[in-house]
Amino acid sequence: MSSLKGTFDQLERDVLAAMAKPKKSFWLALAVSSLMFAVGMGCWGWQIYKGLGVAGITNPVGWGVYITDFVFWVGIAHSGTLISAVLFLFRAKFRNSFNRTAEAMTIFAVMTAGLFPLIHLGRCWLFYWLFPYPNQRLLWVNFRSPLVWDVFAVSTYFTVSLIFWYVGMVPDLAIVRRYTTGVKQWIFRIFSLGWRGTRYQWEHYGKLYMFLAALATPLVISVHSVVSWDFAMSVVPGWHTTIFAPYFVAGAIFSGTAMVITLVVPMRRIFNLETYITVSHFESLAKILLFTSMIVTYSYIVEYVLAFYSGHEFEIAHFLYRSFGDYKYLYWLMLLCNSLLPLTIFVKKLRRNLTYLFILSLFVNVGMWLERFVIIVSSLAKDYDPYAWGTYTPTLIEAGITLGSFGMFFTFFLLFTKYLPVLSITEIKEISE
Amino acid sequence: MSKQWMFDEKADFLAKLRELVDGGVDPHDLETMTPFPVHEADHILHTRTSRLRFFTLAGTLTGLIAGFAFTIFTVMDWPLITGGKPLISLPPFLVIAFELTILLGGILSFVGFLALARLPSVKNVLQPPKEYGNRFVIQQRGEE
Repeated sequence: MSSLKGTFDQLERDVLAAMAKPKKSFWLALAVSSLMFAVGMGCWGWQIYKGLGVAGITNPVGWGVYITDFVFWVGIAHSGTLISAVLFLFRAKFRNSFNRTAEAMTIFAVMTAGLFPLIHLGRCWLFYWLFPYPNQRLLWVNFRSPLVWDVFAVSTYFTVSLIFWYVGMVPDLAIVRRYTTGVKQWIFRIFSLGWRGTRYQWEHYGKLYMFLAALATPLVISVHSVVSWDFAMSVVPGWHTTIFAPYFVAGAIFSGTAMVITLVVPMRRIFNLETYITVSHFESLAKILLFTSMIVTYSYIVEYVLAFYSGHEFEIAHFLYRSFGDYKYLYWLMLLCNSLLPLTIFVKKLRRNLTYLFILSLFVNVGMWLERFVIIVSSLAKDYDPYAWGTYTPTLIEAGITLGSFGMFFTFFLLFTKYLPVLSITEIKEISE
Repeated sequence: MSKQWMFDEKADFLAKLRELVDGGVDPHDLETMTPFPVHEADHILHTRTSRLRFFTLAGTLTGLIAGFAFTIFTVMDWPLITGGKPLISLPPFLVIAFELTILLGGILSFVGFLALARLPSVKNVLQPPKEYGNRFVIQQRGEE
């Protein structure tokens, strides 16, 4: 066996190679994603100029693609925290290959999600009305409103995830400062805070990491529960149910795990990280995907059972409408993507086939987006009063902004892979000794 | 005069550390720099458990109390019944209090970490230790 230092040097070179001159495929990907981002920003600009009427949302469907996107992106964020914090507490070793990527994904997904309430506002420059401060008549915000809970939950989630991500990166930034020169080195010197890795620094660091993981774990569950209560707290049929919180949390982890696969499979290939991110690591992810898929499927069943068992005619009518009404194709497509296709990874051969996993993860991303769309739109389209029924079709502007959100997410992610170490070098060293 | 030893292997590093401590060197005079936490070294040097937990506890308690105090204060500041619910409705306020517990707990833990680990260190930002990352270093502080 070669010396430990030799192994470490090799590891550092391999991981940091991603930060050197990137391949053409990287620039191509960056160009496409920033173009998408620009399209989205252009659409939003048009919406601000013309007014919210350019979006398809109107009575009765006042929540459409924007809120779907919001829930989708918050959900994507969740598996980042799951992989970094929950698996850390469970001492699951395979997390080391993904945690940095997954945490980065969390940050960018929350940033993307955070834009959607503003986009949805119409007069987005009044966003600060959401903050808890007394207005000119000295009235405070209504703390009984789930929308205020959302502000607290999402901003806490962003802050704590950012701290967690940054803290995990400090020792690695100290490594990068050795490999860089000039202005770049100064940036890494400052952000690594003069880290030396003395025994007391490591002692405090270990405790901090553990506490942050322990705080982030209940936080991640609370955030998507709060998001689900945005719906469940109202008396709309199809929304007003107690299963929403656990159902949304499972769905969030499911979609987020799919997004990790979508991002890491190409990243591993572009940056030649095959030694550090192995097929077995992906197999572990695939198992999480399969497990959460089954929880989600179970929730779908429970939703229907609750509705029919309740004997509440509006609930029953709603669930019949959801599966056989105007949005039936989307509903059945969602079931195909979220409940049926993931079952194929019971087969070990498929679970270990990265191309297959990548394609499957794309289907799951689509399926989970559709799930939120179906829940939000079909419930609003037909509630109690037939006089107020209506349907909703997204406009091109809404599609453009959704495309833009993917562009923003991928642009940030690509910049991350270029400028920061994509794997946790320190943690891989720790387990490789 | 301070002395410094550098090792490529963890085993050599631990052997030297043990030799120094057994030879009567006070562990307080020994400083180590390692690429990752080495718990065996902590054991040899009797590194004390971090006091970071007090920061975390203070942060979480402050958040919890602040969350309830803030929400209850605001509804009492201008008592206005909405939705037929009691003014002080604890279940929804718990959500706010919970989020603030986590938020302040996280922030104060981070601040506590910076304070305890003496970071950011201006000296080391200006002169970063060259060998950090793949070598195991022991430094012994001098007599004077």
